[in-house]
Amino acid sequence: MLPTLPINKILVFIDGSEGCILAAKYAIALAKITRAQLKAIYVVNTNLLKQLSKARIFVKIEEMNYEHDLEEDGRRYLKHVRELGERKGLTVETELLKGAVHSLAVQKIDEWGADLFVMGELEPVLSRPDTFHDETEIIFRKAACSVLVVKNADFVEQVYNLLT
Amino acid sequence: MRISNLLSTETIVLSLKHSDKEGIIEELLDLAVKTGKVKDRKKALKALLDREDLGSTGLESGLAIPHARTNAVNGVAIALGISKEGIDFQSADNKPSHLFFLLLAAENETGVNVQVLALIARMNLSSQFRSKMVSAESAESALEIVRAMEG
Repeated sequence: MLPTLPINKILVFIDGSEGCILAAKYAIALAKITRAQLKAIYVVNTNLLKQLSKARIFVKIEEMNYEHDLEEDGRRYLKHVRELGERKGLTVETELLKGAVHSLAVQKIDEWGADLFVMGELEPVLSRPDTFHDETEIIFRKAACSVLVVKNADFVEQVYNLLT
Repeated sequence: MRISNLLSTETIVLSLKHSDKEGIIEELLDLAVKTGKVKDRKKALKALLDREDLGSTGLESGLAIPHARTNAVNGVAIALGISKEGIDFQSADNKPSHLFFLLLAAENETGVNVQVLALIARMNLSSQFRSKMVSAESAESALEIVRAMEG
């Protein structure tokens, strides 16, 4: 019998990056081992879309089309994460959110009472720290719970595949 | 996501031959074709021009990002053109454009596309970046400036 670890609620951040699926697999493994609840969130970054429109990179119709397509992407990713959980006999709750990514993620950690936030590798940050922020890095810094940044794809795949 | 990973010396031109919007788009599209990601040049050009018809992609501070989502490409293809003198691209601030990032993304690459657009716009916020890029003496040095900006 595996020991019960002090993790009850794991929140995994899905953003469509390569690393997020790896994070989901690791979160599934952790949830299985610790018997924690697992929830996956995807945030449609409507704030960024609005900024792109404000900078006139997008015209309004583009902003709307991108928002729609990002929502579809989010649903698809969350469905995939649910399936990854089902394959290992784990129910993964999912939620699609829209707005400012880091604010909503940090808010969800508090609201849901997550003990652990799991996410993929941080994106490289451009060299002007005052203007260049990566959403995941802000979550990493602002999250009220412990944050796990998942790395080492080979190891994680091995762990996930070994789950029964 | 790194812009420098999407660019190469083959897809950067320092002295654009054309000085009209359609000519510049065609010239940069020819560079984008070199990435091997453009499956249908004609369709890609139409997508870029259709987008341009909705509103100029000439932005502020000398930046233009002609872009389109189209299934005429696989993944994301970028080409960069630089003009020291600046070219009228119907920019938002009515000033000449110096940096032209042409971006083509497949329809299913929405997230990456948005990130790339945002990264290019953010890089261009730096006046140092802009002046270094305009003074770049080779495609390799332009690429190096982008790399340095990305840290």
